[in-house]
Amino acid sequence: MDGPTLDWSLVWDSRQLLLDGLVVAVQVSATALALSVALGLVLALLRTSSTPLSWIAAGYINIFRGVPALVSVIWVYFGVSLAFGLTFTVFQAGVIALTLLYSAFLAEIFRSALSAVPPGLKEAGQALGLHPSRVFFSVTLPQAGKIALPNIGSMFIGMVKDTSTFTVIGLLEVVRVTQNLVSTTFQPFVLYTAAAAIYVLAAFVIDFGFRLVENLMTSPPQGRLARALRARKRARVERLIAAHSREPDEPLTPAAV
Amino acid sequence: MTTVTEPESVAAPFAASGVGRRVPIVSIEGLRKSFGSVEVLSGIDLDVHPGEHVVLLGPSGSGKSTVLRSINLLERPSAGSLVVDGREHATPRSSGLFAGAPRGTALQLRRTVGMVFQQFNLFGHLSALDNIVLPLRSVRRMSRRDAEERAAVELRRVGLIARAGHYPNQLSGGQQQRVAIARALALDPQVMLFDEPTSALDPELVGEVLRTMRLVAETGMTMIVVTHEIGFAREVGDLNVFLEHGKVVETGGREFYDECRSQRARDFLQAVR
Ligand SMILES: Nc1ncnc2c1ncn2[C@@H]1O[C@H](COP(=O)(O)OP(=O)(O)OP(=O)(O)O)[C@@H](O)[C@H]1O
Ligand SMILES: [Mg+2]
Repeated sequence: MDGPTLDWSLVWDSRQLLLDGLVVAVQVSATALALSVALGLVLALLRTSSTPLSWIAAGYINIFRGVPALVSVIWVYFGVSLAFGLTFTVFQAGVIALTLLYSAFLAEIFRSALSAVPPGLKEAGQALGLHPSRVFFSVTLPQAGKIALPNIGSMFIGMVKDTSTFTVIGLLEVVRVTQNLVSTTFQPFVLYTAAAAIYVLAAFVIDFGFRLVENLMTSPPQGRLARALRARKRARVERLIAAHSREPDEPLTPAAV
Repeated sequence: MTTVTEPESVAAPFAASGVGRRVPIVSIEGLRKSFGSVEVLSGIDLDVHPGEHVVLLGPSGSGKSTVLRSINLLERPSAGSLVVDGREHATPRSSGLFAGAPRGTALQLRRTVGMVFQQFNLFGHLSALDNIVLPLRSVRRMSRRDAEERAAVELRRVGLIARAGHYPNQLSGGQQQRVAIARALALDPQVMLFDEPTSALDPELVGEVLRTMRLVAETGMTMIVVTHEIGFAREVGDLNVFLEHGKVVETGGREFYDECRSQRARDFLQAVR
């Protein structure tokens, strides 16, 4: 057998195209992530509500968790235009396809995160007279978000990888770029290996980014970024402590109303 | 109805002169609560007057927490009347002082009544200071500056100003509970509810929380306390209510701990002492 020799220099020569492909993949995924987080949260709330909408949410979640990204994007790109005469750009179709699937996954992630928040915290918020929406946004959601964050990170990595199937609609993501290069260079092994390396690299970077955010969300916030972001607040609290420590200890006296 | 022993300080002049009866700040009549088919409260009557310190006692499962939680509508009463600060929050009465009382909302109620929980329930993602700032800003609509200033005053009052920037997981249980007390007090409630505030604490931390609660009592704050700390109860309890199986078995004034009438209450006190 006399196969072609592997030309690894191709990888370096194609780096710009491959990275451009990655940028497209990440743009589609990030947009879809933002939409999926919002939609997933709404679905999780509906799913746990005691309204008939709970069943609709459950149906949605169970269906779309099982649909492959390839099928989803074909539905959106070809199906919707056939059925409703709506046409999407490939970018839009990719975002919608991912959002349909990942909002279902994120709904489940949020559902378990919300149920993991100790009920006492919500009750404490209610007992303080906070408005229910304030309890949700200032107490329940930050707690649940912290719990959900690592899983959201994994979902994001999955989304970036799923964009590889969008080559079918011609989105210029990593795999499409690779296919194009292969068709002129006949070096599939080299180029797909490079493509895989790009996904792995992207996963590393995403993971790192989510870890940074996780550190910001731990209590107390950890890391240099947190220190920098919170420097002014810390100074303010320290001034407050200093000012109040100078005053004599004030025992509990009839409240100064 | 319960017999009420007036706290000496505020009530004495009224009691002596017999001028007008004081109006209860919390008045419960025929309160019932069921979970599914299980009735947990079977008709509770309780009047709490401003400045009074009420202790709820009873064996586990007798319904003490459910009474407290009903008072700020964390549990919805199944039947009966709940009047707080002159507003009806459950089934209106047909007779008596509060017949025809205007209806109140849950938010109004909760802004009148503060609550301290067994598990502290501080918001773990916020510093001690911000645990107090959040409700001040949201409920009192204070500016950040004013809220932080007020929160600092409250932390000073419970002796924790130095820990203002600490998060709950950096505080001991006793410190967390004192922050929780400060958080509730910051909103200037008219009534404070305490549900076994020291039961989750290591024994050596109970004292600091009881000390803080004693100071709260001395301010004249109206308090309803569920506790197994009989020493503390004996000290502050103007009105002591013994519950069993969702019913009030016996109530008594300061003499309750030495001369309670029912065998049940006697046995209970014997057991927890
Ligand atoms: N949400 C609920 N659902 C079903 N049953 C409940 C609920 N909350 C309380 N109960 C039941 O109601 C009864 C009274 O409970 P409650 O918590 O008021 O008792 P307690 O006197 O505070 O007891 P403890 O000293 O153990 O705290 C118990 O039998 C309890 O199992
Ligand atoms: Mg209880």
